[in-house]
Amino acid sequence: MRPLTDDETKVLFEKLSKYIGRNIVHLIDRPDEPYCFRLQKDRVYYVNEDIMRKATPIGRKNLIALGICFGKFTKTGKFRLHITALPYLSQYATHKVWVKPNGEMPFLYGNHVVKAHIGRVTEDMPEHQGVIIYNMADVPLGFGVSARSTVDMRKVDPTGIAVFHQADNGEYLREEDTLF
Amino acid sequence: MDVSGILEEHKNKFKSIQVDRLIPVEFDLGLLSCFDINMLDENKLKSNPTTRNNYLKELAREGAQLLINELFSLPTTIDEDSYYATLPKPTTVLPREKPVPKEKPMTRWEKFAKIKGIQKRKSSGKVFDEATGEWRQKYGFKGVNNDDQKPWLIEVPGNADPFEDQYKVRREEKKERIEKNKRRSQRNYEERVAVEKGIKPHEMRKRELQKALVMSKQSTASLGKFDEKLKGEPKIKGVKRKFDPLVGSADKEKSKNMEILNKVNKGVTKSTVLNVRKAQRAMNNAKRNKK
Repeated sequence: MRPLTDDETKVLFEKLSKYIGRNIVHLIDRPDEPYCFRLQKDRVYYVNEDIMRKATPIGRKNLIALGICFGKFTKTGKFRLHITALPYLSQYATHKVWVKPNGEMPFLYGNHVVKAHIGRVTEDMPEHQGVIIYNMADVPLGFGVSARSTVDMRKVDPTGIAVFHQADNGEYLREEDTLF
Repeated sequence: MDVSGILEEHKNKFKSIQVDRLIPVEFDLGLLSCFDINMLDENKLKSNPTTRNNYLKELAREGAQLLINELFSLPTTIDEDSYYATLPKPTTVLPREKPVPKEKPMTRWEKFAKIKGIQKRKSSGKVFDEATGEWRQKYGFKGVNNDDQKPWLIEVPGNADPFEDQYKVRREEKKERIEKNKRRSQRNYEERVAVEKGIKPHEMRKRELQKALVMSKQSTASLGKFDEKLKGEPKIKGVKRKFDPLVGSADKEKSKNMEILNKVNKGVTKSTVLNVRKAQRAMNNAKRNKK
């Protein structure tokens, strides 16, 4: 376990800003308790400072996880968000997509969101923007990247892809072995 | 029949080619330009746009008129169907686009020649070949310098091995000469680079050599671990990664993160500061509302 270097922090923030924009501030500067980002075996954990201090005596090999895993650094140095980051992403999301009940299961099985399944979209969403996907009851299901802007989405035929799948809650079952 | 009236009328349709200027205008006909240093009328410049525009247009017309008057006074040549005026050479000196190239440092030969006072003599690149009665190049393709490779018979020199191929000897000698020349020019180039960098040439060579040594040492399967150590071999120092302390002050970490975040946000705002689509829509809506 170690703090992130400047470069790593930059990569992480750049990725997060695609989903929550300037709201990263609320992750760093919390009014309740100090939280921090820590790297353990390529994974980035968002963890309470107090818990992090308690985890320090545990060796690198023995420490499995702490706090909430935001994602991991690939071997090429990119950052990949994991589904476990969803609670924080959905809390501060800038762009959202609501999926109709008939589109929930296809998405939760790892498919892209087609236009026919979209119930509602936030206004002024640009193309290739990170979006959080909710069902109509406002339960976050996962996140992805918008394939079209809000305006262009009207022109797409119903079977056309509207949001590219990146992570969904189904991964808790599908990727059970590798996720943690 | 009196046509003077018609002529007068025709004349009045066009502006006069006579232009009066207080200070005579300067011309540079080679560049098809004229320079007017007369004062501008400030009252007209500061008045309403139409008079100002008319004034400026008039000035431009008069300048062009003067230039064209001058062009017509130039000597002309007549081609099949058109007249050509021959322009004089430009007198205005234009500044050059690129900076003056830096002077290259002298090569070793040039230095030597300067000390010895050897001067370059201009000579033609061709030599008269009496055998064929033709002019031939001194060097290069079909050059005279290749002649020593050609004769059908070569006498074996006194102290040479009689079974040696004399053609091969000559061929190899020539190859060696070429190689040597290449090495010299490479050395000149390296020395020039060193001088431009402000390092002494032999220092530079030493540095390069050490770099090559380190590279070659590391190029074994065991990264040079079992290689024999050379005398005076430089010690290789790797870059050691340094991380912040795991449990540092929380405030410090927070402020550092905020700093990085600000930098990231700057990049983000640059691309997202103007939502073009939103702006377009707002414009269209405004237009529609007006109608």
